[in-house]
Amino acid sequence: MRCFLIGSFTSSRISSLTSAMTRAWSGRQFAWIAAFVLLAGAARGSSTERAPSGDASTQTNNTRVVTDEVGRVVTVPAEARRIVSLAPNLTETIYALGMEDRLAGDTDYCDTPAAAKMKAHVGAPLSPSLEAIVALHPDLVLATTSINRRETVDALAHLGIPVYTNDPRTVRGMLDSVARIAELAGSATTGTEVVNQLRMRLDALQLRLVDRPLVHVLFVVWESPLITIGQNTFIADALRWAGAESVVLSKQNWPQISFEEVVRLGPEYIVLSNHTGAAPVEIERLRSSPQWKDLEAVETGHVVIVSDEISRPSPGLVDAIEQLAREVHPEVFGPQSEMRKTADGVSNQFALSSGRIKECARCAR
Amino acid sequence: MSAPVGQPSSLASPSGGSDPQENPPMRLKVEQASYAYSATDRSAPKFALGPASFHAQQRELVAILGPNASGKSTLLRLLAGLEKPLSGRIEVDAVEVSTLDLRTRAQRIALVQQESELLFPLRVWEYVLQGRYPYGRRLRFESEEDCLLAGNALAQVGADALRDRWMDQLSGGEKQRVILARALAQQPSLLLLDEPTQHLDIGGKVELLRRLRRLTDDSRYTVLVVTHELNLAAEFSDRIVLLHKGKCLRVGTPAEVYDQALLEEVFEAPLEVDIRPNGRPRVILRGH
Amino acid sequence: MRPLTPRRVVTTCALLLFILFAIVVISLRMGAYPISITDIVMTLFNGAMGRRDEIPSEFWLVVFGLRLPRIALGIVVGAALSTAGAGFQALLRNPLADPYVLGVSSGAALGAILSLIAAPHTPGAIQLAAFAGAAATIAAVYFLGRRGGQLDSGTLLLAGIVTASFLSAVIMFLMTTLSGRDLRGMAFWLMGDLATPPAIDSRWLYLVLIVAVGSIYTTASDLNLILTGEQEARHLGVNVNRVKLVVYVAASVLTGLAVSVSGAIGYVGLLVPHVMRMLFGTDYRLLIPTSAIGGAIIILVADTLARTIVAPTELPVGAMTAIAGAPVFIYLMRRRMR
Repeated sequence: MRCFLIGSFTSSRISSLTSAMTRAWSGRQFAWIAAFVLLAGAARGSSTERAPSGDASTQTNNTRVVTDEVGRVVTVPAEARRIVSLAPNLTETIYALGMEDRLAGDTDYCDTPAAAKMKAHVGAPLSPSLEAIVALHPDLVLATTSINRRETVDALAHLGIPVYTNDPRTVRGMLDSVARIAELAGSATTGTEVVNQLRMRLDALQLRLVDRPLVHVLFVVWESPLITIGQNTFIADALRWAGAESVVLSKQNWPQISFEEVVRLGPEYIVLSNHTGAAPVEIERLRSSPQWKDLEAVETGHVVIVSDEISRPSPGLVDAIEQLAREVHPEVFGPQSEMRKTADGVSNQFALSSGRIKECARCAR
Repeated sequence: MSAPVGQPSSLASPSGGSDPQENPPMRLKVEQASYAYSATDRSAPKFALGPASFHAQQRELVAILGPNASGKSTLLRLLAGLEKPLSGRIEVDAVEVSTLDLRTRAQRIALVQQESELLFPLRVWEYVLQGRYPYGRRLRFESEEDCLLAGNALAQVGADALRDRWMDQLSGGEKQRVILARALAQQPSLLLLDEPTQHLDIGGKVELLRRLRRLTDDSRYTVLVVTHELNLAAEFSDRIVLLHKGKCLRVGTPAEVYDQALLEEVFEAPLEVDIRPNGRPRVILRGH
Repeated sequence: MRPLTPRRVVTTCALLLFILFAIVVISLRMGAYPISITDIVMTLFNGAMGRRDEIPSEFWLVVFGLRLPRIALGIVVGAALSTAGAGFQALLRNPLADPYVLGVSSGAALGAILSLIAAPHTPGAIQLAAFAGAAATIAAVYFLGRRGGQLDSGTLLLAGIVTASFLSAVIMFLMTTLSGRDLRGMAFWLMGDLATPPAIDSRWLYLVLIVAVGSIYTTASDLNLILTGEQEARHLGVNVNRVKLVVYVAASVLTGLAVSVSGAIGYVGLLVPHVMRMLFGTDYRLLIPTSAIGGAIIILVADTLARTIVAPTELPVGAMTAIAGAPVFIYLMRRRMR
């Protein structure tokens, strides 16, 4: 069946126009030449484009050249006033630094703290809309290797928008990043303050765990297939700060292991990161799952749901580390009741730690 | 290889054509053509066709007969120029076939085979129009003349009414006619058909041969038909070429070739040959 | 009896080009950045005149830096994939053939992965490596797909499928055993993504596109005949072996080109030729240009939807073609069953 209805109607009009041209030379060639000319014009326009370095909104010439954490040389403003964050951890960092008034936009997934949801969105971290970013007139875009794609960063750089990529591999690295972001936003002192506080908390934690052997845990990234973390991941480092260590030693970042291997390795604790927010439900589920329930760690109730900050390189990570440390080292911190397993464990951390120090009989310091 | 058995005298002088003064040019000349191939690189070459010779004129319908594996297909491929003969020559209109380039060859020789399955729907007239491909440039759009000739070809096979039908909706006999029409659209000197009656019922077979006969008589074609049909060949053809195990045993009119002993030996079946009132032989099974 | 005339080819192409132009205009208009059609036209006009200073730099950025390059890329990719699909369907005598059936996309993907491992920060490395992978696969499948020294449709298809499977297995292996790193981008690449501009000037892409499509077009009459049977085509004077080689190389190059710059966008190469056949007939002298332009239209529509439907998040264009392609495919299958 040939559906010529609309086509033939219009084509008869066009044919009278083109018949004169086709008599001049082969129509086929004409169609190709026309297409080529049309698109060559567009291509010429696009290839001659080279957006100016810096941005229309920055009138000052206050820029400096820095090297970001993946080695790219970027020309950034002296003090970034309109920052777009392309990852939840970066957004969180900015809020932790108290610089949210400089945040012009963030991603759809930025929900910590809740106020971040009110900011203008540019899309998902993996595939943000370049146009939405441009529409926000940013003078600095922050990206991170932990979730953003290199292609996105390249595309933004190609458009002449300064992009600073951070690459947190360790907890300390995260702290350095926080300081650097503060500096880029023009308040180095705030950054130093925040970082120092975080350092203090971590050091205090180290102090309390100094004699304790590392607890062997299995950190579950995904249940089926069973995926855990490798030695070189950020999470592994965070675990170590919490006085724990993954039973799986692998050079791969996200090794997939068999359940038999888990049984053989015999972890003392199973650690899950809280994605859904319903922690008690998860524990019950594992207890009744035929596969997991006979595992020693599950039988003894050594299942920890830690805040999902554990996988996010941002100041909230320290909360997660503290939470995890409390869970797996009950001998130091006192038994944790079920009620205390809150979703993000942020509340009361100062009260808890100072209270515990008083109660700790073994701590000489 | 030994010389073909029984060279009939009719080879020496032009045959066919009712007018003795007319000296029609030799359309097809096969002289001592042979062909051999090796199944693998190492085995000795096998002769598929021993030296064969025969001629054919304009307005002649020649039937190539023989049991299976007698070399009929090989001969046809040589005639179509698809293979080069190992020795000897095959000439069409006094030009050696294997020296022709593809397009010129397609303008002189048309080969009608069983049709492959069509991938996409096609109308009959589009199919027949493809026969005009050998004329003109490689990327060509058909001209008025092409359409005229294609129409003529359809008329010649009596398939004019089928013009706008879809190819995959035709019956076996209708498809056969359309395929023939496409071959005719090539305006060939030589028309080769490879077992065209295979899938047709007896009515279809007779109709096809009748049509071929009419074509040969009315137009300037020379038609060669490879077939198994002994009686149809006897009834409709001017000459028969009898092959057996790669050898060209006999060439001549049906009456000359259909010798009972010879046929029995060749086809390995109990046969009997009658001569009908019109002078043409008829082969029947000698039964009891 | 109405045979195809050059005039009808031109007319149909002009109609489709008009539709393409309309889609280009609509696509230019759509996007997250607020810019009116007047501003777009002014930017285009000034850009064509070379008067760059008269336009706000952000307008220039959006029109010439973001939207137009993406549109231009989409046109190339759509045209390349559809023409390759039409070519392979004739070459392999199989209506289900698509540009990836001979393993070219797997080879390109493998090249891309290897370049991510070896040179993750070199711009343009992915595209070059992908194209190299595609070229290597083309050669390998060619040599595997011969029978008696000539390309044979059945053998070629088998060789292609085997190669594609093998390469996919290697890719799976690499992706699971290597550390996470930058392979995140591979997921998008495998789905088909137009958001990342290639490091290569798009003019080269157009040149290759036009040369390859043109080469296939010269065999259009031959292909019509070959589709009624290879032997029959030979008897009609078609140099079947030469035609097969030309179509194979040109269609593979088109596929390699498209996959290198945008990953493996699915369904377009398979379905656009069939839709064009339904609309305009099976004659390849018309099918090739209509497939090319039709493919460009489809990709543009899909990409425009991909970047606006759940704005500001951008879906990979391959996701759109898959979502729309599957029902269309089912519809076409049912029609054939009539």
